[in-house]
Amino acid sequence: MNEQQKVNILMVDDQPAKLLSYEVILKELNENLIKAHSGREALDLLLKNEIAVVLMDVSMPELDGFELAEMIRQHPRFQKTAIIFISAVHLTDVDQLKAYQRGAVDYISVPIVPELLRAKVSVFADLHRKTRQMEVLNRELRSLSARLIAMQDEERRRIARDLHDSVGQLVATLSMNNGLALMQVEKLTPPAGEALRQNTELVKQLSKEIRTISHLLHPPLLDEIGLLPAIKLFADGFAERSGIQVAVELSPELGRLAPKVEISIFRIVQECLTNVYRHSGSKTAAIKIWPSDEKMLTLQVCDQGKGIGVERRASMSSGTNNGVGLSGMRERLRELGGTLEIQSNGNGTTVTAVIPETTAATVGVS
Amino acid sequence: MRTRFLIVDDNELVRQSLRTVLQANPEWEIAGEASNGQEAVEVFQTSRPNLVILDFQMPGMNGIETARRILEIAPAMPIVLFTQHASLELEKHALSVGIRSVVSKTDTFPMVGIIEALLGPSELPAAKEQKDK
Repeated sequence: MNEQQKVNILMVDDQPAKLLSYEVILKELNENLIKAHSGREALDLLLKNEIAVVLMDVSMPELDGFELAEMIRQHPRFQKTAIIFISAVHLTDVDQLKAYQRGAVDYISVPIVPELLRAKVSVFADLHRKTRQMEVLNRELRSLSARLIAMQDEERRRIARDLHDSVGQLVATLSMNNGLALMQVEKLTPPAGEALRQNTELVKQLSKEIRTISHLLHPPLLDEIGLLPAIKLFADGFAERSGIQVAVELSPELGRLAPKVEISIFRIVQECLTNVYRHSGSKTAAIKIWPSDEKMLTLQVCDQGKGIGVERRASMSSGTNNGVGLSGMRERLRELGGTLEIQSNGNGTTVTAVIPETTAATVGVS
Repeated sequence: MRTRFLIVDDNELVRQSLRTVLQANPEWEIAGEASNGQEAVEVFQTSRPNLVILDFQMPGMNGIETARRILEIAPAMPIVLFTQHASLELEKHALSVGIRSVVSKTDTFPMVGIIEALLGPSELPAAKEQKDK
Protein backbone atom coordinates (compact mmCIF):
# COMPACT_ATOMS: atom_id res chain seq x y z
CA MET A 1 0.00 0.00 0.00
CA ASN A 2 1.53 3.31 -0.97
CA GLU A 3 1.05 6.52 0.91
CA GLN A 4 -1.58 7.89 -1.43
CA GLN A 5 -3.72 4.80 -1.34
CA LYS A 6 -7.27 5.45 -0.18
CA VAL A 7 -8.70 3.77 2.88
CA ASN A 8 -12.33 2.83 3.53
CA ILE A 9 -14.46 4.80 5.94
CA LEU A 10 -17.71 3.19 6.98
CA MET A 11 -20.57 5.52 8.03
CA VAL A 12 -23.46 3.91 9.89
CA ASP A 13 -26.76 5.69 10.53
CA ASP A 14 -30.40 4.70 10.14
CA GLN A 15 -31.26 8.18 8.86
CA PRO A 16 -30.26 8.73 5.21
CA ALA A 17 -30.13 12.49 5.69
CA LYS A 18 -27.44 12.16 8.34
CA LEU A 19 -25.43 9.80 6.18
CA LEU A 20 -25.61 12.37 3.44
CA SER A 21 -24.35 15.11 5.72
CA TYR A 22 -21.37 12.97 6.89
CA GLU A 23 -20.61 12.30 3.27
CA VAL A 24 -20.55 16.00 2.44
CA ILE A 25 -18.28 16.74 5.39
CA LEU A 26 -15.84 13.90 4.72
CA LYS A 27 -15.80 14.11 0.95
CA GLU A 28 -12.77 16.37 0.78
CA LEU A 29 -10.64 13.83 2.68
CA ASN A 30 -10.59 11.97 -0.61
CA GLU A 31 -11.02 8.53 0.95
CA ASN A 32 -13.57 5.85 0.04
CA LEU A 33 -16.82 6.52 1.86
CA ILE A 34 -19.13 3.57 2.42
CA LYS A 35 -22.67 3.95 3.74
CA ALA A 36 -24.62 1.52 5.92
CA HIS A 37 -28.20 2.11 7.00
CA SER A 38 -28.30 -0.37 9.85
CA GLY A 39 -26.04 -2.25 12.23
CA ARG A 40 -26.60 -5.47 10.28
CA GLU A 41 -25.61 -3.87 7.00
CA ALA A 42 -22.55 -2.39 8.69
CA LEU A 43 -21.43 -5.82 9.92
CA ASP A 44 -21.91 -7.25 6.48
CA LEU A 45 -19.80 -4.48 4.91
CA LEU A 46 -17.11 -4.86 7.55
CA LEU A 47 -16.71 -8.52 6.69
CA LYS A 48 -16.35 -7.78 3.00
CA ASN A 49 -14.06 -4.74 3.17
CA GLU A 50 -11.03 -3.59 5.03
CA ILE A 51 -12.33 -0.65 7.02
CA ALA A 52 -10.05 1.98 8.57
CA VAL A 53 -12.63 4.04 10.45
CA VAL A 54 -16.23 3.35 11.49
CA LEU A 55 -18.35 6.38 12.15
CA MET A 56 -21.59 5.35 13.83
CA ASP A 57 -24.72 6.66 15.38
CA VAL A 58 -25.35 5.45 18.91
CA SER A 59 -29.13 5.18 18.70
CA MET A 60 -30.33 2.99 15.91
CA PRO A 61 -33.28 0.60 15.85
CA GLU A 62 -32.58 -3.13 16.14
CA LEU A 63 -28.84 -3.14 16.72
CA ASP A 64 -27.66 0.03 18.42
CA GLY A 65 -24.18 1.53 18.20
CA PHE A 66 -22.95 0.11 21.50
CA GLU A 67 -24.03 -3.42 20.58
CA LEU A 68 -22.54 -3.09 17.13
CA ALA A 69 -19.22 -1.87 18.56
CA GLU A 70 -19.12 -4.82 20.90
CA MET A 71 -19.66 -7.25 18.04
CA ILE A 72 -17.00 -5.57 15.94
CA ARG A 73 -14.45 -5.72 18.72
CA GLN A 74 -15.01 -9.43 19.27
CA HIS A 75 -13.73 -10.17 15.81
CA PRO A 76 -9.92 -10.37 15.82
CA ARG A 77 -9.67 -8.79 12.39
CA PHE A 78 -11.34 -5.60 13.60
CA GLN A 79 -9.44 -5.24 16.84
CA LYS A 80 -7.66 -2.18 15.48
CA THR A 81 -10.50 -0.61 13.51
CA ALA A 82 -11.13 2.91 14.82
CA ILE A 83 -14.74 3.41 15.97
CA ILE A 84 -16.10 6.95 16.38
CA PHE A 85 -19.52 7.40 17.94
CA ILE A 86 -21.84 10.24 17.06
CA SER A 87 -24.79 10.95 19.27
CA ALA A 88 -27.39 13.61 19.91
CA VAL A 89 -28.57 11.89 23.06
CA HIS A 90 -26.60 9.76 25.57
CA LEU A 91 -24.29 12.62 26.37
CA THR A 92 -23.47 11.88 30.00
CA ASP A 93 -20.01 10.83 31.15
CA VAL A 94 -21.43 7.39 31.89
CA ASP A 95 -22.61 7.03 28.29
CA GLN A 96 -19.27 8.15 26.96
CA LEU A 97 -17.44 5.78 29.28
CA LYS A 98 -19.64 2.96 28.04
CA ALA A 99 -18.63 3.82 24.49
CA TYR A 100 -14.92 3.85 25.26
CA GLN A 101 -15.24 0.55 27.12
CA ARG A 102 -16.71 -0.93 23.96
CA GLY A 103 -13.66 0.14 22.06
CA ALA A 104 -14.54 3.59 20.74
CA VAL A 105 -11.66 5.92 19.99
CA ASP A 106 -13.82 9.04 20.12
CA TYR A 107 -17.28 10.25 21.05
CA ILE A 108 -18.70 13.19 19.16
CA SER A 109 -21.86 14.95 20.16
CA VAL A 110 -24.35 16.64 17.89
CA PRO A 111 -24.33 19.32 16.55
CA ILE A 112 -21.28 18.29 14.63
CA VAL A 113 -18.56 20.79 13.85
CA PRO A 114 -17.60 19.72 10.31
CA GLU A 115 -13.93 20.73 10.56
CA LEU A 116 -13.58 18.81 13.81
CA LEU A 117 -15.16 15.62 12.48
CA ARG A 118 -13.05 15.83 9.35
CA ALA A 119 -9.87 16.33 11.35
CA LYS A 120 -10.63 13.42 13.67
CA VAL A 121 -11.49 10.98 10.89
CA SER A 122 -8.44 12.09 8.95
CA VAL A 123 -6.13 11.29 11.88
CA PHE A 124 -7.44 7.75 12.17
CA ALA A 125 -7.42 7.18 8.42
CA ASP A 126 -3.75 8.17 8.33
CA LEU A 127 -2.98 6.01 11.32
CA HIS A 128 -4.56 3.05 9.60
CA ARG A 129 -2.60 3.71 6.42
CA LYS A 130 0.65 3.95 8.34
CA THR A 131 -0.07 0.81 10.33
CA ARG A 132 -0.69 -1.08 7.09
CA GLN A 133 2.54 0.26 5.61
CA MET A 134 4.39 -0.81 8.70
CA GLU A 135 2.93 -4.28 8.51
CA VAL A 136 3.98 -4.61 4.90
CA LEU A 137 7.51 -3.40 5.68
CA ASN A 138 7.68 -5.70 8.64
CA ARG A 139 6.72 -8.68 6.55
CA GLU A 140 9.30 -7.75 3.94
CA LEU A 141 11.96 -7.40 6.59
CA ARG A 142 11.07 -10.78 8.07
CA SER A 143 11.26 -12.53 4.77
CA LEU A 144 14.49 -10.75 3.92
CA SER A 145 16.11 -11.80 7.17
CA ALA A 146 14.90 -15.38 6.73
CA ARG A 147 16.40 -15.39 3.25
CA LEU A 148 19.67 -13.96 4.56
CA ILE A 149 19.94 -16.67 7.20
CA ALA A 150 19.20 -19.40 4.67
CA MET A 151 21.73 -17.92 2.24
CA GLN A 152 24.36 -17.71 4.95
CA ASP A 153 23.80 -21.36 5.85
CA GLU A 154 24.04 -22.36 2.21
CA GLU A 155 27.14 -20.28 1.62
CA ARG A 156 28.89 -21.75 4.66
CA ARG A 157 27.94 -25.23 3.56
CA ARG A 158 29.40 -24.55 0.12
CA ILE A 159 32.67 -23.10 1.43
CA ALA A 160 33.09 -26.01 3.86
CA ARG A 161 32.46 -28.44 1.05
CA ASP A 162 34.90 -26.68 -1.28
CA LEU A 163 37.51 -26.65 1.45
CA HIS A 164 37.03 -30.38 1.95
CA ASP A 165 37.03 -31.22 -1.74
CA SER A 166 40.01 -29.12 -2.80
CA VAL A 167 42.53 -28.15 -0.11
CA GLY A 168 41.52 -31.00 2.19
CA GLN A 169 42.14 -33.68 -0.41
CA LEU A 170 45.46 -32.16 -1.43
CA VAL A 171 46.61 -32.16 2.16
CA ALA A 172 45.45 -35.77 2.52
CA THR A 173 47.58 -36.82 -0.42
CA LEU A 174 50.52 -34.83 0.95
CA SER A 175 50.12 -36.75 4.17
CA MET A 176 50.08 -40.09 2.37
CA ASN A 177 53.12 -39.23 0.28
CA ASN A 178 54.98 -38.19 3.40
CA GLY A 179 54.03 -41.52 4.96
CA LEU A 180 55.45 -43.36 1.98
CA ALA A 181 58.68 -41.38 2.10
CA LEU A 182 58.93 -41.95 5.85
CA MET A 183 58.98 -45.69 5.26
CA GLN A 184 62.31 -45.23 3.56
CA VAL A 185 63.58 -42.40 5.69
CA GLU A 186 66.75 -44.31 6.52
CA LYS A 187 67.89 -43.80 2.93
CA LEU A 188 67.90 -40.05 3.41
CA THR A 189 70.69 -38.00 4.94
CA PRO A 190 69.93 -37.11 8.58
CA PRO A 191 69.00 -33.47 7.80
CA ALA A 192 66.74 -34.57 4.92
CA GLY A 193 65.11 -37.15 7.17
CA GLU A 194 64.55 -34.53 9.84
CA ALA A 195 63.02 -32.16 7.28
CA LEU A 196 60.68 -34.94 6.16
CA ARG A 197 59.59 -35.59 9.73
CA GLN A 198 58.97 -31.89 10.26
CA ASN A 199 56.99 -31.69 7.04
CA THR A 200 54.89 -34.62 8.14
CA GLU A 201 54.12 -32.84 11.39
CA LEU A 202 53.33 -29.60 9.55
CA VAL A 203 50.97 -31.33 7.19
CA LYS A 204 49.21 -32.89 10.17
CA GLN A 205 48.76 -29.46 11.75
CA LEU A 206 47.64 -27.92 8.49
CA SER A 207 45.08 -30.62 8.05
CA LYS A 208 43.78 -30.07 11.57
CA GLU A 209 43.42 -26.33 10.98
CA ILE A 210 41.49 -26.87 7.78
CA ARG A 211 39.31 -29.40 9.50
CA THR A 212 38.45 -27.03 12.34
CA ILE A 213 37.61 -24.18 9.97
CA SER A 214 35.50 -26.44 7.81
CA HIS A 215 33.67 -27.92 10.81
CA LEU A 216 32.87 -24.51 12.23
CA LEU A 217 31.58 -23.35 8.88
CA HIS A 218 29.37 -26.35 8.47
CA PRO A 219 29.25 -29.54 10.53
CA PRO A 220 29.96 -32.43 8.13
CA LEU A 221 28.14 -35.03 10.22
CA LEU A 222 24.94 -32.97 10.21
CA ASP A 223 23.97 -33.77 6.63
CA GLU A 224 25.45 -37.23 6.55
CA ILE A 225 24.52 -38.75 9.89
CA GLY A 226 22.33 -36.31 11.77
CA LEU A 227 21.94 -33.68 14.44
CA LEU A 228 22.92 -35.61 17.55
CA PRO A 229 26.35 -36.81 16.44
CA ALA A 230 26.99 -33.38 14.92
CA ILE A 231 26.22 -31.67 18.24
CA LYS A 232 28.31 -34.15 20.22
CA LEU A 233 31.23 -33.66 17.87
CA PHE A 234 30.90 -29.89 18.03
CA ALA A 235 30.67 -29.96 21.83
CA ASP A 236 33.83 -32.09 22.04
CA GLY A 237 35.74 -29.72 19.78
CA PHE A 238 34.42 -26.70 21.67
CA ALA A 239 35.48 -28.21 25.01
CA GLU A 240 38.94 -28.87 23.64
CA ARG A 241 39.37 -25.35 22.26
CA SER A 242 37.79 -23.42 25.13
CA GLY A 243 38.59 -25.52 28.18
CA ILE A 244 34.90 -25.38 29.12
CA GLN A 245 33.46 -28.74 30.08
CA VAL A 246 30.32 -29.48 28.10
CA ALA A 247 27.78 -32.10 29.18
CA VAL A 248 25.59 -33.29 26.34
CA GLU A 249 22.29 -34.96 27.05
CA LEU A 250 20.36 -35.72 23.90
CA SER A 251 17.25 -37.80 23.81
CA PRO A 252 18.21 -40.83 21.70
CA GLU A 253 14.73 -41.35 20.27
CA LEU A 254 15.04 -38.19 18.19
CA GLY A 255 15.30 -39.30 14.58
CA ARG A 256 16.28 -37.26 11.58
CA LEU A 257 14.54 -33.90 11.49
CA ALA A 258 13.86 -31.65 8.53
CA PRO A 259 17.21 -30.21 7.30
CA LYS A 260 16.12 -26.66 8.11
CA VAL A 261 15.30 -27.67 11.69
CA GLU A 262 18.58 -29.55 12.11
CA ILE A 263 20.77 -26.71 10.89
CA SER A 264 18.80 -24.19 12.99
CA ILE A 265 19.17 -26.20 16.18
CA PHE A 266 22.84 -26.72 15.47
CA ARG A 267 23.42 -23.00 14.89
CA ILE A 268 21.55 -22.08 18.07
CA VAL A 269 23.70 -24.50 20.08
CA GLN A 270 26.79 -23.06 18.42
CA GLU A 271 25.72 -19.49 19.21
CA CYS A 272 24.87 -20.33 22.82
CA LEU A 273 28.21 -22.01 23.46
CA THR A 274 30.02 -19.06 21.86
CA ASN A 275 28.18 -16.78 24.29
CA VAL A 276 29.09 -19.03 27.22
CA TYR A 277 32.72 -18.73 26.20
CA ARG A 278 32.68 -14.99 25.52
CA HIS A 279 30.48 -13.64 28.28
CA SER A 280 29.67 -16.06 31.08
CA GLY A 281 33.04 -16.93 32.59
CA SER A 282 31.53 -20.36 33.28
CA LYS A 283 33.78 -23.41 33.38
CA THR A 284 30.93 -25.75 32.51
CA ALA A 285 27.98 -25.86 30.17
CA ALA A 286 25.22 -28.32 29.39
CA ILE A 287 23.23 -29.02 26.25
CA LYS A 288 19.95 -30.90 26.46
CA ILE A 289 17.44 -31.77 23.77
CA TRP A 290 14.30 -33.71 24.44
CA PRO A 291 10.79 -34.06 23.00
CA SER A 292 8.77 -31.95 25.43
CA ASP A 293 5.46 -33.17 24.11
CA GLU A 294 4.11 -34.94 21.09
CA LYS A 295 4.94 -32.28 18.58
CA MET A 296 7.51 -30.10 20.29
CA LEU A 297 11.22 -30.30 20.94
CA THR A 298 12.95 -28.44 23.72
CA LEU A 299 16.55 -27.38 23.45
CA GLN A 300 18.26 -26.05 26.53
CA VAL A 301 21.76 -24.68 26.92
CA CYS A 302 22.81 -23.77 30.48
CA ASP A 303 25.94 -22.46 32.06
CA GLN A 304 26.99 -21.74 35.63
CA GLY A 305 28.54 -18.37 34.87
CA LYS A 306 27.97 -14.88 36.17
CA GLY A 307 24.74 -14.34 34.23
CA ILE A 308 23.80 -11.56 31.89
CA GLY A 309 24.59 -8.17 33.43
CA VAL A 310 21.89 -5.57 34.14
CA GLU A 311 23.11 -3.22 31.44
CA ARG A 312 23.27 -5.91 28.80
CA ARG A 313 19.88 -7.23 29.80
CA ALA A 314 18.33 -3.76 29.52
CA SER A 315 19.66 -3.32 26.02
CA MET A 316 18.49 -6.82 25.17
CA SER A 317 14.93 -6.26 26.34
CA SER A 318 14.65 -2.90 24.61
CA GLY A 319 15.85 -4.66 21.49
CA THR A 320 18.34 -1.89 20.76
CA ASN A 321 21.51 -3.87 21.07
CA ASN A 322 20.83 -7.54 20.76
CA GLY A 323 23.84 -8.25 18.67
CA VAL A 324 23.42 -10.48 15.67
CA GLY A 325 23.63 -13.58 17.85
CA LEU A 326 20.47 -13.29 19.86
CA SER A 327 18.31 -11.77 17.15
CA GLY A 328 19.68 -14.35 14.75
CA MET A 329 18.51 -17.10 17.10
CA ARG A 330 15.10 -15.46 17.43
CA GLU A 331 14.74 -15.13 13.67
CA ARG A 332 15.63 -18.76 13.12
CA LEU A 333 13.06 -19.83 15.68
CA ARG A 334 10.39 -17.51 14.31
CA GLU A 335 10.88 -19.11 10.89
CA LEU A 336 10.29 -22.54 12.44
CA GLY A 337 7.36 -21.37 14.57
CA GLY A 338 9.35 -21.78 17.78
CA THR A 339 10.09 -19.59 20.79
CA LEU A 340 13.16 -18.51 22.73
CA GLU A 341 13.42 -17.77 26.42
CA ILE A 342 16.44 -16.61 28.38
CA GLN A 343 16.71 -16.90 32.15
CA SER A 344 19.71 -15.43 33.82
CA ASN A 345 20.90 -14.63 37.31
CA GLY A 346 24.13 -14.60 39.28
CA ASN A 347 24.29 -18.39 39.15
CA GLY A 348 24.16 -18.78 35.42
CA THR A 349 22.15 -18.47 32.26
CA THR A 350 19.70 -20.88 30.69
CA VAL A 351 18.57 -20.48 27.12
CA THR A 352 15.47 -22.50 26.25
CA ALA A 353 14.17 -22.91 22.72
CA VAL A 354 10.95 -24.72 21.96
CA ILE A 355 10.60 -25.90 18.38
CA PRO A 356 7.79 -27.69 16.57
CA GLU A 357 9.11 -31.14 15.68
CA THR A 358 9.28 -31.39 11.89
CA THR A 359 10.77 -34.69 10.87
CA ALA A 360 12.70 -35.17 7.66
CA ALA A 361 10.44 -35.89 4.74
CA THR A 362 12.77 -38.65 3.66
CA VAL A 363 14.20 -40.48 6.63
CA GLY A 364 17.60 -42.09 6.42
CA VAL A 365 21.13 -41.15 5.66
CA SER A 366 21.61 -39.36 2.41
CA MET B 1 47.33 -65.47 -2.36
CA ARG B 2 47.44 -61.75 -2.77
CA THR B 3 45.17 -59.27 -1.05
CA ARG B 4 42.88 -57.40 -3.41
CA PHE B 5 41.75 -53.87 -2.55
CA LEU B 6 38.83 -51.82 -3.70
CA ILE B 7 39.59 -48.10 -3.42
CA VAL B 8 36.67 -45.65 -3.31
CA ASP B 9 37.28 -41.91 -3.27
CA ASP B 10 35.88 -39.09 -5.37
CA ASN B 11 39.32 -37.50 -5.63
CA GLU B 12 41.68 -38.93 -8.24
CA LEU B 13 44.77 -37.65 -6.39
CA VAL B 14 43.74 -39.45 -3.22
CA ARG B 15 43.15 -42.69 -5.12
CA GLN B 16 46.54 -42.32 -6.79
CA SER B 17 48.32 -41.86 -3.46
CA LEU B 18 46.42 -44.78 -1.98
CA ARG B 19 47.51 -46.94 -4.90
CA THR B 20 51.12 -45.99 -4.33
CA VAL B 21 50.89 -46.70 -0.60
CA LEU B 22 49.19 -50.08 -1.06
CA GLN B 23 51.30 -51.25 -3.96
CA ALA B 24 54.42 -50.67 -1.90
CA ASN B 25 53.54 -54.09 -0.47
CA PRO B 26 54.16 -56.75 -3.17
CA GLU B 27 51.44 -58.96 -1.69
CA TRP B 28 48.80 -56.29 -2.21
CA GLU B 29 47.07 -55.35 -5.42
CA ILE B 30 44.30 -53.02 -6.56
CA ALA B 31 41.23 -54.97 -7.62
CA GLY B 32 39.19 -51.95 -8.54
CA GLU B 33 38.50 -48.27 -8.04
CA ALA B 34 35.36 -46.18 -7.82
CA SER B 35 34.73 -42.47 -7.44
CA ASN B 36 31.32 -42.61 -5.77
CA GLY B 37 29.16 -44.93 -3.68
CA GLN B 38 26.93 -46.18 -6.44
CA GLU B 39 29.88 -47.10 -8.60
CA ALA B 40 31.60 -48.67 -5.59
CA VAL B 41 28.75 -51.15 -5.08
CA GLU B 42 28.88 -52.11 -8.76
CA VAL B 43 32.66 -52.46 -8.90
CA PHE B 44 32.59 -54.38 -5.64
CA GLN B 45 30.44 -57.08 -7.19
CA THR B 46 32.63 -57.50 -10.26
CA SER B 47 36.11 -57.03 -8.76
CA ARG B 48 35.87 -59.40 -5.74
CA PRO B 49 38.17 -57.52 -3.37
CA ASN B 50 39.29 -58.74 0.08
CA LEU B 51 39.22 -55.30 1.61
CA VAL B 52 37.51 -52.00 0.84
CA ILE B 53 38.93 -48.56 1.54
CA LEU B 54 36.08 -46.09 1.49
CA ASP B 55 35.93 -42.30 1.55
CA PHE B 56 33.22 -40.84 3.81
CA GLN B 57 32.09 -37.61 2.19
CA MET B 58 31.34 -38.16 -1.49
CA PRO B 59 28.76 -36.73 -3.85
CA GLY B 60 25.56 -38.76 -3.67
CA MET B 61 25.76 -41.73 -1.34
CA ASN B 62 28.22 -41.25 1.53
CA GLY B 63 30.72 -43.81 2.80
CA ILE B 64 28.53 -45.10 5.63
CA GLU B 65 25.63 -45.77 3.30
CA THR B 66 27.93 -47.36 0.73
CA ALA B 67 29.38 -49.61 3.44
CA ARG B 68 25.87 -50.65 4.42
CA ARG B 69 25.12 -51.71 0.84
CA ILE B 70 28.38 -53.61 0.49
CA LEU B 71 27.84 -55.39 3.81
CA GLU B 72 24.40 -56.47 2.65
CA ILE B 73 26.17 -58.30 -0.17
CA ALA B 74 29.15 -59.54 1.86
CA PRO B 75 28.50 -59.21 5.60
CA ALA B 76 32.05 -60.11 6.66
CA MET B 77 33.85 -57.78 4.26
CA PRO B 78 36.48 -55.72 6.07
CA ILE B 79 35.89 -52.04 5.30
CA VAL B 80 38.11 -49.14 6.32
CA LEU B 81 36.57 -45.67 6.30
CA PHE B 82 39.18 -43.17 5.13
CA THR B 83 38.15 -39.62 5.92
CA GLN B 84 39.07 -36.04 6.73
CA HIS B 85 36.27 -36.06 9.27
CA ALA B 86 37.58 -38.83 11.52
CA SER B 87 36.15 -38.34 15.00
CA LEU B 88 34.85 -40.37 17.89
CA GLU B 89 31.28 -39.67 16.83
CA LEU B 90 31.83 -40.75 13.26
CA GLU B 91 33.73 -43.82 14.44
CA LYS B 92 30.86 -44.87 16.74
CA HIS B 93 28.45 -44.56 13.88
CA ALA B 94 30.74 -46.32 11.41
CA LEU B 95 31.36 -49.27 13.74
CA SER B 96 27.64 -49.59 14.36
CA VAL B 97 26.98 -50.32 10.68
CA GLY B 98 29.84 -52.85 10.54
CA ILE B 99 32.78 -50.79 9.29
CA ARG B 100 35.92 -52.21 10.92
CA SER B 101 38.06 -49.13 11.28
CA VAL B 102 38.21 -45.38 10.65
CA VAL B 103 41.49 -43.90 9.41
CA SER B 104 42.05 -40.17 9.31
CA LYS B 105 43.28 -38.59 6.12
CA THR B 106 45.10 -36.17 8.39
CA ASP B 107 47.27 -38.90 9.79
CA THR B 108 47.58 -41.76 7.34
CA PHE B 109 50.62 -43.32 8.91
CA PRO B 110 48.72 -45.97 10.94
CA MET B 111 46.78 -47.16 7.90
CA VAL B 112 49.11 -49.94 6.78
CA GLY B 113 49.25 -51.36 10.30
CA ILE B 114 45.45 -51.25 10.58
CA ILE B 115 45.03 -53.05 7.28
CA GLU B 116 47.52 -55.73 8.28
CA ALA B 117 45.71 -56.24 11.57
CA LEU B 118 42.37 -56.48 9.76
CA LEU B 119 43.69 -59.06 7.33
CA GLY B 120 44.94 -61.05 10.27
CA PRO B 121 47.46 -63.88 10.27
CA SER B 122 45.24 -66.39 8.49
CA GLU B 123 44.40 -66.06 4.83
CA LEU B 124 41.52 -63.92 3.74
CA PRO B 125 38.27 -65.36 5.08
CA ALA B 126 36.37 -62.56 3.45
CA ALA B 127 37.25 -63.54 -0.09
CA LYS B 128 36.29 -67.12 0.63
CA GLU B 129 32.92 -66.14 2.00
CA GLN B 130 32.14 -64.01 -1.00
CA LYS B 131 32.94 -66.89 -3.31
CA ASP B 132 30.69 -69.19 -1.26
CA LYS B 133 27.67 -66.95 -1.61
